[in-house]
Amino acid sequence: MEEVRNNTGQNLGIAALITAIITFVLAVIPCVGLIAIIPGIIAIILASVGLSQASRNDSPKGVLIAGLIIGIIATMISFSQIFVAGKIAQHAGKWPGDIQNVINDVQDNVMKNLEDANVSIKVESNGDKVEITTSPKKEDMEHKLEDLEGGNKQKEDTLQKNDTLQKKK
Amino acid sequence: MTLYKRKSNSKLTFKARIRKEPYLIINIFFAGVILLIIAYSGIFSPEKNNYPVVCIHEKLTGQPCVSCGLSHSFSLIVRGRIDEAFKWNIYGLRVFLFFFSQLILRIAFSAFYIKYPDTRKQLIIIDCIGSGLIFLIAFWPFIARIFSGL
Repeated sequence: MEEVRNNTGQNLGIAALITAIITFVLAVIPCVGLIAIIPGIIAIILASVGLSQASRNDSPKGVLIAGLIIGIIATMISFSQIFVAGKIAQHAGKWPGDIQNVINDVQDNVMKNLEDANVSIKVESNGDKVEITTSPKKEDMEHKLEDLEGGNKQKEDTLQKNDTLQKKK
Repeated sequence: MTLYKRKSNSKLTFKARIRKEPYLIINIFFAGVILLIIAYSGIFSPEKNNYPVVCIHEKLTGQPCVSCGLSHSFSLIVRGRIDEAFKWNIYGLRVFLFFFSQLILRIAFSAFYIKYPDTRKQLIIIDCIGSGLIFLIAFWPFIARIFSGL
């Protein structure tokens, strides 16, 4: 008498194996590796459901087990892509900060040098010489500013003028 | 009439045979997927730069990854511009050859599977080992990157 084979869960097994292999190939490629988690989980679910059906009806489980193992490995690889991306992102976050610090240092140095520098301009025309020497030191600039403000204090402020006019009215 | 019946019967038996063989179903499915990949590379052109797949890795990290430019590379290989394909992704040809070899292997192994039923088990074992090795060789730079990143 011919033995009748029970193929319960076989279709699920084939679907799981195909999904698992596609997930495996996708998981290895960094560009789409993170997406591969979704088909990986689908493959594991399909294989698990198929295995439970097969064990109930005592049908062959080879394809189902292969699908489950490949699906689990592929999902693990896909998860590992998250860690790899995270590490690279961490490094990428550091680099702009370092560059910003270097730029700030250079900027401070340039400003310090400019503060201490003396600028002299010489102009010669038909034997006449004109020489202008200035220093952009903070102290000198502050003195100049005070002098200018002192001169302006003598003049009446326009706002104050308006106030006095309104009071008179 | 009898000839038609015979033909339809043979078609039915062929379909029934394929349904009973998971190996053949898997082979047909993968051959279809690879043909779709080749069609994708042919439809989207590198000049228009209209590829629907965006690198998630680059979006997350801001850094280009090892597989960036693979779609461009595939499109250029399909069009026979292999020198330009290397510029887009150095591993593009390697990965493309993997897919192309798999397409040929799926067809060849399916033909052997139907023709020589006695050697089916050996054929599947050889296929698994061979395809696994080709996969490792083709995707090694990507796999190595995962291990170096962890």
